Amino acid sequence: MYYATQEIWTWWLAAYLFLGGLGAAAVTVSILTDLYFKSHKLLVVWGCLGGFVMLGAGSSMLFLHLLHHVAVIHVMNPLILLRKPDAWIAWGTQFITWMMVWSLLYALPYLREMPLFARMPLVGKVLQWSPVTWLSGIVVKFRRVVGWLAVINGVGTVVYTGLLLQSFPAVALWHNPGVPVLFTLSAFSTALAFLLLVLYLVVKDPADRPLQVFYERTDVIVIAAEVVVIFAFFQYTLHGSESARQSSQLLWTNYGWVVGFVLLGLIVPLLIELKAVTRGWRGHGPMVTAALLILSGGYLLRFYFMEAGVYERPYPPHGYSAYRQIQGPTDRAPVLTAIENLQVVTEK
Amino acid sequence: MANQHYAMVIDLNTCVGCNACMAACAMENETPVWSNRWRTYVHDLEIGSGDEIRRRFFPRLCNHCDNPPCMSVCPTGATHKLDNGIVLVDDDLCMGCQACAMACPYDARFDFTYDDVRQGREFYGALHHRAGPSVDKCSFCAHRVMQGLKPACVETCVGSSRMFGDLNDPKDPVTRLVASGVAKALLEHLGTRPNVFYIGDIERG
Repeated sequence: MYYATQEIWTWWLAAYLFLGGLGAAAVTVSILTDLYFKSHKLLVVWGCLGGFVMLGAGSSMLFLHLLHHVAVIHVMNPLILLRKPDAWIAWGTQFITWMMVWSLLYALPYLREMPLFARMPLVGKVLQWSPVTWLSGIVVKFRRVVGWLAVINGVGTVVYTGLLLQSFPAVALWHNPGVPVLFTLSAFSTALAFLLLVLYLVVKDPADRPLQVFYERTDVIVIAAEVVVIFAFFQYTLHGSESARQSSQLLWTNYGWVVGFVLLGLIVPLLIELKAVTRGWRGHGPMVTAALLILSGGYLLRFYFMEAGVYERPYPPHGYSAYRQIQGPTDRAPVLTAIENLQVVTEK
Repeated sequence: MANQHYAMVIDLNTCVGCNACMAACAMENETPVWSNRWRTYVHDLEIGSGDEIRRRFFPRLCNHCDNPPCMSVCPTGATHKLDNGIVLVDDDLCMGCQACAMACPYDARFDFTYDDVRQGREFYGALHHRAGPSVDKCSFCAHRVMQGLKPACVETCVGSSRMFGDLNDPKDPVTRLVASGVAKALLEHLGTRPNVFYIGDIERG
């Protein structure tokens, strides 16, 4: 058997998964906060518009890498779900599209109230356009329904990012139920970090202190759960199939994963937030640092997950991709063998 | 139940590595040979260690699985399966997200880009039929099979290494080889239920 990683879906797909999860979770958390915790115009505008921009940027990553751009129209049609209910990209495209629509609608009444948007040359005129005024009135009347439609599609988008990878059976690291759980936890953790940054650096309202504390406490729980899932993955890959073991070698001998993600993206922010919710910090510096670390960790998680997916093949990989081959199996400890076994495939 | 359930058996003991199958397939299906991408590819391997090294040729192609992961992940329905078991790609529906290439355990798919469409016109001339980019793979030469012919790679195989048949026909040599257990599928544990079977090296005493 031959074991090889792939170079089809690389950093840009990780960016798509990261921005998709982060944007959708930011929309979800900001709307739920507005509906059930505290009415918060600025948070909704930042959460929904931020989510819109992130989803737009993430989807662009995928769109730009399509081979046939015009054919994307087939997956944009909502009826595709009747024809392809088993394809997660079809579901994901619909979740993303409708989440963007409903979240923008939910934020519409708030946008119309804000002088910043009213003063914008084109945006201001559009916001005062009579159909938009009518639409805004409808949204105010059915605020909860519109909010929940955005939330449902937001959660769908978040879970989809994990289910997408789970649907590839040839890679043990991806093809397991832990992936959607991990990506969902990570998405909500990064969204809470993003919204904390908004509260600390943009809103700066002392009246938001209870909301900040609530977000920090929730984030501590979410990150702690993420650490447990990562540990479970470590055990699963270390003692699993050969494909899983090869992934384990790639991940746990990589400083980007161990230091960049696990240490700086998980453990350090967890400790910072733990102190914030127990003893508190004097300034905002530590929490802003923790939030930035969580955000960078969220991307690194997905980047290295894509990097470390190892295929089991009956023959050496061949084709347009410059695959890396990992010879196996080996009984030696993974940490000792990972680097020396990485080599370019050579065929006669 | 379909009348046919097509399958292929490849005898690794008689494959001489002449690559005629690759050439026949490339001409029949107009694959982007200019960038070394093929619907079927023959690996040239050295197996063993020390003085016990053997040279083996290992043909690779789409396994036309009964449970194809490439089909379930395809978001547009471009990848579909005919009643006779052949898995095809509809170029008009394919948007080229390459999820199918990611899902395929057999490394059977490759990208066919805008640039390949242009080069294809130059390479294959007026015969070139590809209008747009998509993800490409072996089709078991469905267009030939429907005319009662064998796939181009089978037709041209000088060592008779490749055999094509109908698993629904109990008298078909391919069915007998599969039923006897001599011909085995690859990576069956993944649940793909492939329809390409290999007769491995004869065991040495």
